[in-house]
Amino acid sequence: MSSMTSTPHPGPAASPARADRPARVDVRERVLLVDDDGRIRQALSLALDDEGFTVATAPSGEEALATLGRDTVDLVLLDLMLPGTDGLTVCRRLRAQGDLPIIIITARSDSADVIAGLEAGADDYVTKPIVAGELAARIRALLRRRRPGAQAARLQVGDIEVRPDEGVVRSNRGPEPAEVHLTRTEFRLLVELAAAEGRVVTREDLLRRVWGYDYLGDTRLLDVHVRRLRCKIERDPDHPTLVLTVRGAGYRAAGRSDAGD
Amino acid sequence: MPATRPRTRGILRPRLPLRWRVAIAFAAVSLAITGLLAAATWHLASSYLLAKREQGATSQAAVDARLVQDALRDPARDGSDDLLQGLAGGGEITVAVRRNDTWTTSGRQLDVDALPPDLLALAGSGTAARQRIVAGGIPVLAVAVPLQGAVYVELVPLSELDATLRFLSGVLVAGVGVSGLLGLALGGWAGKRALRPLTDLRDAAARVAAGDLDARLPEQDDADLAPLAATFNRTAEDLRRRVRRDARFASDVSHELRSPLTTLVNAVAVLRRRRDELPPTARQAVDLLDADVHRFGKMVTDLLEISREEQIDERDLEVCDVVDIVTHAVGARRGIAVEVEGTPPKVLVDRRRLDRVVGNLLDNADHHAGGAVRIGVSTCADGVRIEVDDAGPGIPPELREEVFERFSRGANAGRRDGGGGAGLGLALVARHVRAHQGRIRIEDSPAGGARVVVVIPGGSG
Repeated sequence: MSSMTSTPHPGPAASPARADRPARVDVRERVLLVDDDGRIRQALSLALDDEGFTVATAPSGEEALATLGRDTVDLVLLDLMLPGTDGLTVCRRLRAQGDLPIIIITARSDSADVIAGLEAGADDYVTKPIVAGELAARIRALLRRRRPGAQAARLQVGDIEVRPDEGVVRSNRGPEPAEVHLTRTEFRLLVELAAAEGRVVTREDLLRRVWGYDYLGDTRLLDVHVRRLRCKIERDPDHPTLVLTVRGAGYRAAGRSDAGD
Repeated sequence: MPATRPRTRGILRPRLPLRWRVAIAFAAVSLAITGLLAAATWHLASSYLLAKREQGATSQAAVDARLVQDALRDPARDGSDDLLQGLAGGGEITVAVRRNDTWTTSGRQLDVDALPPDLLALAGSGTAARQRIVAGGIPVLAVAVPLQGAVYVELVPLSELDATLRFLSGVLVAGVGVSGLLGLALGGWAGKRALRPLTDLRDAAARVAAGDLDARLPEQDDADLAPLAATFNRTAEDLRRRVRRDARFASDVSHELRSPLTTLVNAVAVLRRRRDELPPTARQAVDLLDADVHRFGKMVTDLLEISREEQIDERDLEVCDVVDIVTHAVGARRGIAVEVEGTPPKVLVDRRRLDRVVGNLLDNADHHAGGAVRIGVSTCADGVRIEVDDAGPGIPPELREEVFERFSRGANAGRRDGGGGAGLGLALVARHVRAHQGRIRIEDSPAGGARVVVVIPGGSG
């Protein structure tokens, strides 16, 4: 008895759509869609399957957690309004366990709802009505985040050392270098800022490079993630010295003078 | 049914504000009361002073007359002239004796013909008499005392008393004037105080009219005003509740529509991907479905946006370059000239909404006028001015307000084909512009079509 509802779409190997894109067979990412609306689950599964994802679904928070405990999933699409364990709780629990990419689905685009979800650890959010094509772009951008492009092997922001190719962040603050655990989004954000070596990176650039937004990005998304990043790497997150806000423009990492290149 | 006519105003009731009418009434009452008091005071004081003076002059004259009588009775020592001279004293007083139709005068020069004949006749017939006359240009009291075979006349000047009375009257008139002014001031102050609740009411009503549905009147202790305040507040509360309810209804409806819409959009996307596998009829049906599902989706999104709180969340404000926003909005659209005049200042705006403003204006031009031909960005007195010109048929003046109404289709009323707008686009534009305290209007474009002018206030942040 699997709580993982397989899509009613033609089976993996026999799918003609799959046959059209043989190169993608091996790299099909597994997405878990958590939504209590059965019709949405079905329709989105079909459409996302067309976009090249393998979709598993769960109708509730409990079942989602059970599925995740059992199967490997690359990304979770999480509706915030769920019966029983609600979306925010699921999101927090998942984030506590690791850096599994999470995109939340909200019916409301009001600030409060979205920010609550982002604060709970989500990497991104989409608002209903969800269009599979746009959602797929979001998912791809998020999954790409763990594979940053070829950059310097080692970046430095103050006493924080970043190794983009290894995906490791170390703090040389204490007597012994300690590893800092960042989510992919936070990591990517830090890499983008560190790579600019003290120059300002505009909000649009950050939203485009980290989240894949072409233009109409939501700056709240960025602000919440910068806040979370600061909480992890700054001595005093309220008075940041490493990730600095440039009012009206964007953000910049502490200047090159602080960096030991 | 007779038409209601404005109440005719009397000539004496010119159109003055209530406060001034109250002040004038206060002043008038004050003037009347103090005037009456002053008149009474004047009357009593002047008659008392005059009576006192007359009494004094009369008894003095009687004493003098006896002296003259004694002198006349003793012709041996005919010193009546000396006596008269002595009686006249310093020259203030005039004394005169008529004996055998001959006047002997002393003191101030007197024209005896100026003496009233009645007075002399009365004295001649043996009765002492007095009369106030003007002699030699000054007011005097003439006292005539009969003597044996003669008449003694004494003229006492009243100029000193006159000066006193004039001073008194001056004081009284000034007092009346001051009290009138005080009445005016008091009336003005009282009127202002009494009308303060009305002023508050006017301000609150104006705020409600301007869209601030949270405007309320303070609680009133006054029994006359409490019901007014209570009624106003209740009405405002009802209005607020109704507006909120309407907004929530639209918001709830579009939320409820979002779930089925998600299903529809994605199901259609799956179908569209397999379009080529479908028979022609089904293909056509899928195309129709696809187009209208998207139109429907846009409508729901617009509806949701228009039902949202108009006020901008402060967290959403950021300093933006309008040129940047316009350039992005134009994006891949063809045939639009972006003209920037000078360097327009950056403005503090909700970028998402300003994006919608420019995007919707362009969409609107696409749907109704064959597309925009020019966007101008320039600096104006209080901010940045954005002009969107199209080459369409233009919008007649009588429709220029109406096109900003929800679901107004302006000149295109009845034309619903061609996948046009949902009818909310311009309403949203107007709403977002309003939320930024901006202005929007429609003019004639020099290019022949319509020109939408948006002004977003604010300088460089």
